[in-house]
Order: sequence, then structure tokens, then C-alpha cells
Amino acid sequence: MTAAADAVSPQGSAWERWRRRLGPWAPVLVLVLLSIAIGIANDRFFSFGNLSRIADAASIPLVLGLGITFIIIMGSIDLSIEGVLSFGAVVLSLLVLNGVNDNDFGLLGVVIVLAIGAGMGFVNGAIHVGLRIPSFMATLGMWFVGVGIGNAILGGIQVRVNDELIRALALERLFGFKYQVWVALLALAGAFVIERYTRFGRYIYAIGGGEDLADLSGIKVRRIRILAFTLAGAFYGLGGVMAVAQQGSAFALIGSDRLFTTVTAVVVGGTALMGGAGGVLNTLVGALIVVVLDNGMVLMGVSPYVQQIVLGVLIVVAVAMSVDRIRTRIVK
Amino acid sequence: MRSTRELARQFMPLITLVVLVVAVGAFQPQFVNPATLLQIASDTATLFVLGAGVTLVIMLGGIDLSIQSVASLTSVIVALLLGQLGYLAFPVAVAIGAGVGLLSGLAHVRLKIPSFIASLAIGGCAAGAALLLSDARSITLGETERGYTAWITGRALGIPNEVVIGAIVLIAGTVVQRYTAFGRFSTAIGAGEPAAIASGIRVGLHKVTAFVLSGAAAGLAGVILAGRLASGSPTLANQLLLPAIAAVIVGGTAITGGVGSIWRTLVGALIITVVRTGMTFLNVDIFLQQAVFGAVLIIAVALTIDRSKIPIVK
Repeated sequence: MTAAADAVSPQGSAWERWRRRLGPWAPVLVLVLLSIAIGIANDRFFSFGNLSRIADAASIPLVLGLGITFIIIMGSIDLSIEGVLSFGAVVLSLLVLNGVNDNDFGLLGVVIVLAIGAGMGFVNGAIHVGLRIPSFMATLGMWFVGVGIGNAILGGIQVRVNDELIRALALERLFGFKYQVWVALLALAGAFVIERYTRFGRYIYAIGGGEDLADLSGIKVRRIRILAFTLAGAFYGLGGVMAVAQQGSAFALIGSDRLFTTVTAVVVGGTALMGGAGGVLNTLVGALIVVVLDNGMVLMGVSPYVQQIVLGVLIVVAVAMSVDRIRTRIVK
Repeated sequence: MRSTRELARQFMPLITLVVLVVAVGAFQPQFVNPATLLQIASDTATLFVLGAGVTLVIMLGGIDLSIQSVASLTSVIVALLLGQLGYLAFPVAVAIGAGVGLLSGLAHVRLKIPSFIASLAIGGCAAGAALLLSDARSITLGETERGYTAWITGRALGIPNEVVIGAIVLIAGTVVQRYTAFGRFSTAIGAGEPAAIASGIRVGLHKVTAFVLSGAAAGLAGVILAGRLASGSPTLANQLLLPAIAAVIVGGTAITGGVGSIWRTLVGALIITVVRTGMTFLNVDIFLQQAVFGAVLIIAVALTIDRSKIPIVK
């Protein structure tokens, strides 16, 4: 630790040392300690029924989190999750067997929704890169565009979904866990392969670590950025499908509050908003932390509204811990 | 060339506003009579007050995404306290708004968390607090409580009080920006933060101040909404974040900071209201209007942003 760094933040040294020692294992440690604490307070926590409930609850935040992880690794952000998810869910409900029209596209409907998600992500990326505006602004716009169009299509109504394949996601079980849990794990495996074993995966870390260097070393930064947003959009589309399965219906506000949970999961998992660090396995841990905390508070009878406050505090603490105070002087 | 661009930036919003008013007036002649225009002005007040606060933060190159939650929270607080405290409930609500802004500012400055995520998180806490206090219900103001809100809903000399409140905020905001150290330093920080740091400006202090003022303005907006709708609710202001930020940007304040002012936000807010009124005349679905504002926001950001300031766009 240099003298200059100490001068930047007086209490920095002890804090930095502590942070470094815990290092990348902090999220796992938090998850374990949290689980033990809740388990001691309430012995129902470790029952299989409850663990399966936690897996259910974690599956959508995980899938959404996987998508945004790619974006956050690049040092960008995607606020359009709720927009893409809502619009995807609304379109899905109108394509598969439903209570409003005669469509019955089944699996093709799901594929179309994934494509729509990817398309909206592509637009995010194209606007962000093409017009050179910050990603949070471009995706803030898409958030409201998505929810707005979803709302305009359905008005206030709720569309019941009768498609058996989709209902099965949230109703049928395999080895004790619902199908949606397995779908989420498949998505995790896919995201892991993309992150570790593709060029794209390596490039997004390079971009997050230092975009100017990545650019100079010949990485097609703009193309990779657009690709990352497109990929993220496809994950949100999948999240939309799973949300419809869980609710048994679609409505325009089906995405409400999901952005908050997802971002919390990703940053609590240890993926730094600065970019260049973290990954999809962090997001798995983060999603579990958020859901376990939620589950524990429910078991202990804490008001559901307090939970949102806890999530907010959690974001602040997690981001504060991951910020590299020596490297950053100016934060906007 | 540059000066032409500057001039365009300066007057484009105003020209847009006039053109829009004329265009809508051509379709709907009753639009351009004093009564309707006054109505538009009073409809704009809440949006303008929200936007005026966030302008101060955007001037510094930051953003405050907590304003809608803060406004909802203070509407709930007013609705809960009005019966017991009377007029005192209003300053209490505004102070709580400022307090939430203080938290966002401190999280941003002390913990070095990017402002959009700090304000999103603290805004989430405020939303949770609003749900908790109201038990997730809308609280209607009773007869006696409504007596206290006459200063919001009434009229003086034929002018709606909301317009007067908006005008006071405009004057106060302009004075703060032009004639206080905070205002001058804000522009300096937004124009070039490294230079501002190097010249000894207390950047952190001014950033926190901007968030406090933004929180207070959002708090006031919540108070006005509560008076206007005679109720407080944890979701009262939920659709206002995007239009408020759009108002700031459409008015010509750059998201990159350093360029902008409160009166521009007034012009921007009026544009938003006129566009919304126009769309309602044209029977555009109210939800689709949100989508339109999303698109308008992106276009306005793209037009006003100063790309020389951000070599790497993240």
C-alpha cells in the first residue's frame, strides 16, 4: 500500500487489507453464514421442501442475472430487464395456447420470444454503441419502451396461459426440483461455457478490464458490445418465459421489481460494477444469497416491505466492497 | 460552426416548444386559449419540480434515479402526518426527501458508488419504507386534512397555486445556480471534474448538496401530488421518473454535465406535457406514451451529449 493511496482515503488501508484477504470467497462465506444463521433460528430452513422452494425462487433471478453479468463484466449496465421481460412475457402469452386468442405455437412461441429478447438487446447495444450514449441511458429508454408497449398491447388485462409445456415448467418435477430449476441450471451451464471457453467470453473481460487496451489489441469492441447486449436480451426473454410459467399468466407489470433483485444478486455475488471481475458463478451465489435472505425473512415473519429495504442496503454494501478505491478517483 | 451549434442547443428546445404548441393548436383550436394553457402549466408543475431537482445532479455529471420513490414516500408521509401535525407535515415531508437525498449522496461520494446505482438502491429503500408505512395501500385525505392542502390546489388571482409553486422553484433554482458558490462550482465540476479537483473545489461536498436538493425537490413534488390527488400512495409517482429525466434532457441539459439550467428544464417539462396532451388528443394509448417518452429520451440524450468528455462510453 503506497502512501499516495493512503492519502486518497484515510481509513483505506485497514479496509482494503480486510477486503483483499476475504477476496473472492466473501460471497460464498456470506451465503454459508447466512444459511447457518437462518437454519439455527428456524429448523424448517434446511428441510428439503424449503430448499426446493429456494431453488424455485432463485431460478428467475439467476437467469436474468446471467444475462446482465455479461454486461456488467464489460463495465456497463442494462436497466432494460423489466422492459424486455414484460414485453417477452406478453408476446409469449398471446402466441401459445391462451385464454384470449386461438394461437397455439407451443415451443415455436418460446423460440420467438427468445428471438424478440435478443432483438431488443441488439437494439440496446446498437443504440449504445452506434449513438455513443452511456448504456444506462440507452437501456433506461428500452425499459420504458418495453413495459409501455406490453401495457399498450394488453391494457390492464391478464392473459391466462394454458400451454402445457409452459405450465409444466412450474408444475412438473424432476428429481424433486421443478423443471424451471433445471432450465435455470442449463442456462447457467450455457453461460459458463460462453464465459470460459469462447473468444467472446475472454473479450468481454478484456473490455471490462481496460477498453482502450482491448481496442488497441485488435478486439472489435463495438461488435462485442452489441453481441453482449443481444445475448443478455435472450436471457431476459427466457426469464420472461419462466415468469409466465410461474404466474400461469402474463400481464404488463409482470417484470416489476425484477431489475432491483437481479442487480442485487449480481453485485452481491461479487461481480464488480467497474467491470473486468466476477462471472456467472458469482451470479449463482449472489442469486442464492438474495433468495435465502428473502426466504429467511419470510420464515422469521419479517414484513415483505422490509425486504426491499434490506435489498437496497445490500446493493450499497456489496458495491462499496467491490469498488477499487485506489484505481478510481472520479465516480459519476 | 461551434457557435452555431451552441446557439442551436440554446434555442432548439424553445423553438420545439413553440412549434409543438402551434401544431397541436392547429389540430385543436381550443388548446390555445388561456384556460387550457394555464391548465397545462399547472399539470407541468409536479414534473418540473422533480426535473428541477434532478437537473442539479445532472449538471454535476451524475444522475438521481431515486426521485420517483422519494416523491411516493413523501406523499405517504404527508397523508399520514397531516391529521396530527397540520401544516408542519409539509416541511417534515420535504425534509425527509432531503434526508433520502443525503443518503444517496453519501453512498455515492463516501463509498464511491456510481450515482445511478447508489440512487437506485437508496430509492429502493425509500420505496420499501413507503410500502411499510402505508401498508401498501393508498391513503385518502379526509375532509379536514384536505383543508390544509388548499395552498396546493387553490387559485390566487385566477392563477393555479401549483403554477406559483413552480415559479418559486424556478426562481429559487435559478438563484442557486447563478448566484451561489454551489451553483458555480457545480458547473465547474460538471464541465471538468479533474480540473475542479485540482483547483481545490470540494467536489464531494457539492455532490452531496446536489443530491440533498434533488431529494428535497422530489419531496416537494410528492407533497404537491398528495395535495393534487388528495391521497398518498407508495406508487403515486411511479410513472414520473422517465418523464422527469426526459424533461431535463429535452430541455438541453447534457447528461455529461456542465451544460444546462433550471429554466431549460422548465421548457423541457412543458414540451413533455404538450406532447402528452397532444398524444391524448390524438388518442394515443396512455401506456404507449411511456414508450414514446423512452424513445424521445434516447434521441434527446444522443443530441445533447458531449462525446468529447467520455472517451470510453460504458
